[in-house]
Amino acid sequence: MRGRWIPLLGAFWRLNLAEELQYRANFVASVLGTLFSMATALLTLSLFFHHTTSLGGWDYWEIVVLLGVFNALSGVIEAVLRPGIGQLAGEVRSGELDLVLVKPVDAQGFVSFRRLDIWRFADVVLGLALAGYALTRLGRIPSVAQLVAFALALASAAVVVYAIWVVLMSLAFWFVSVENIAVLFDAVYEGARYPVSAYPGALRFLFVYLIPIAWTTTIPASALTGRLRPEVALAAALVAALAFVLARALWRAAIRRYAGASG
Amino acid sequence: MIKRYAALIRNAWLVDLQYRASIVLWLLWGVTEPAIALGIWWAIAGDGSVAGYARADFARYFFAVMLINQLTIAWDSWYLDRWIRDGELNYRLARPLHPAHEAVAENIAYKARTASVILVVWLVVAAAWPAVRLPLDPGRWALTFVAVLLAAAMRFFISFTTGLLAFWTTRATAIMELHAGVSLFLAGRIAPLALLPPAVAGVAGALWFRSMLAFPVDLLTGAVHGADAIVRGLASQVVWLGIWIVAYRIAWSRGIRKYGAVGG
Repeated sequence: MRGRWIPLLGAFWRLNLAEELQYRANFVASVLGTLFSMATALLTLSLFFHHTTSLGGWDYWEIVVLLGVFNALSGVIEAVLRPGIGQLAGEVRSGELDLVLVKPVDAQGFVSFRRLDIWRFADVVLGLALAGYALTRLGRIPSVAQLVAFALALASAAVVVYAIWVVLMSLAFWFVSVENIAVLFDAVYEGARYPVSAYPGALRFLFVYLIPIAWTTTIPASALTGRLRPEVALAAALVAALAFVLARALWRAAIRRYAGASG
Repeated sequence: MIKRYAALIRNAWLVDLQYRASIVLWLLWGVTEPAIALGIWWAIAGDGSVAGYARADFARYFFAVMLINQLTIAWDSWYLDRWIRDGELNYRLARPLHPAHEAVAENIAYKARTASVILVVWLVVAAAWPAVRLPLDPGRWALTFVAVLLAAAMRFFISFTTGLLAFWTTRATAIMELHAGVSLFLAGRIAPLALLPPAVAGVAGALWFRSMLAFPVDLLTGAVHGADAIVRGLASQVVWLGIWIVAYRIAWSRGIRKYGAVGG
């Protein structure tokens, strides 16, 4: 079973690539769209810093590093999560999930990684480039330990975000009419644009504890700028592993509830 | 016509009722942006004020943004883009009523439902939190009602006209996204216009952006005062509404002549 994974995904992604290469103009449109949204984010930040010198104890270029991380993580979400696991709620409603479940592979893995929106991987590069530029403006060259910690923290953040998507999509097994459940993620993910320390009372409770989305950008960015000791990345990895296990358990419970009726 | 509208609105209301869970999600999405902006300005203002705005002023401003943005926002460009590309426009054209009427009815039903939720939440929050209470001023509320109607009509025509660009380009929704990005600043979604650099605020006032959202919001919170400023604001709304109606008529008549989709 397990051995079949790699050639199978390889075949899917090859087809995927061949398909996307027919629409090369989409690449330009996608990059322009990302550059525009990065520009509005930077202008928004400039507006805030027109009236203050720090936000939650972070200065301008530190938050730009965080915005770079935010964009890199957005790239992963748009390239992998939305076209993959993000389609699940609709498939539960329409019954198309039947076609997935009868395949002799792990359904969660298949649903999650069968399709990629490859052009959006450019967002990861653009985001990391922005973070790198901001670091040079800060005059901080991260050490190797910091870079390793950053990579680990960013990977952990991606896993946590994946787990949140699995949880949200699994809700569709109970409440069928929430095809646009991904909107809930988009709303909450907006909170990850700024460091957790910037939020007052109620919002901090929401973004930090209730739905711990803000950490997914704050921790990698902190590892990069040296605000946190590199060891924190290990804790982040532990949290990510825990989130993954919980999401996997919820997925199994959800699948047991599913009784498709597709045609 | 009134009977037709009543039927269309009832129909749209019942369709929305089927998708009420989805509508709650869109509603949450709509209020996050002002909630986050309020959080950040709240932190920046601290115990002092920013350009005359103290914490309570920001709270009132962004609660008004949540309500009025919900009342004036229009998604029609996304629908039109899809209708034109997949041919759904065909059977809408075959009906004895212009497709725009149906779109208006959908807007009214959707906004009545969602904005009343925001209004109730606002009242509940205001009971506990004096910062977001507005002074009792029925005259001002009546003027705000007129300004909101004008803004909603204008944003409907902006959205509908931009959607009609799908007759010529496959990137009509990208143009709408661009407009949304610009309006983040110029319509006052991220900050009161008073906090923007004066030149930028000037552009917002000279174009239609202030009329879209910032003016009705400032009218409700009391930031716009004096008969002169109110009349000028309303006049600007009327002028820009007229301009967008003209743009819509040109786009519709040219586009429909060009249109020849198959399927539906």
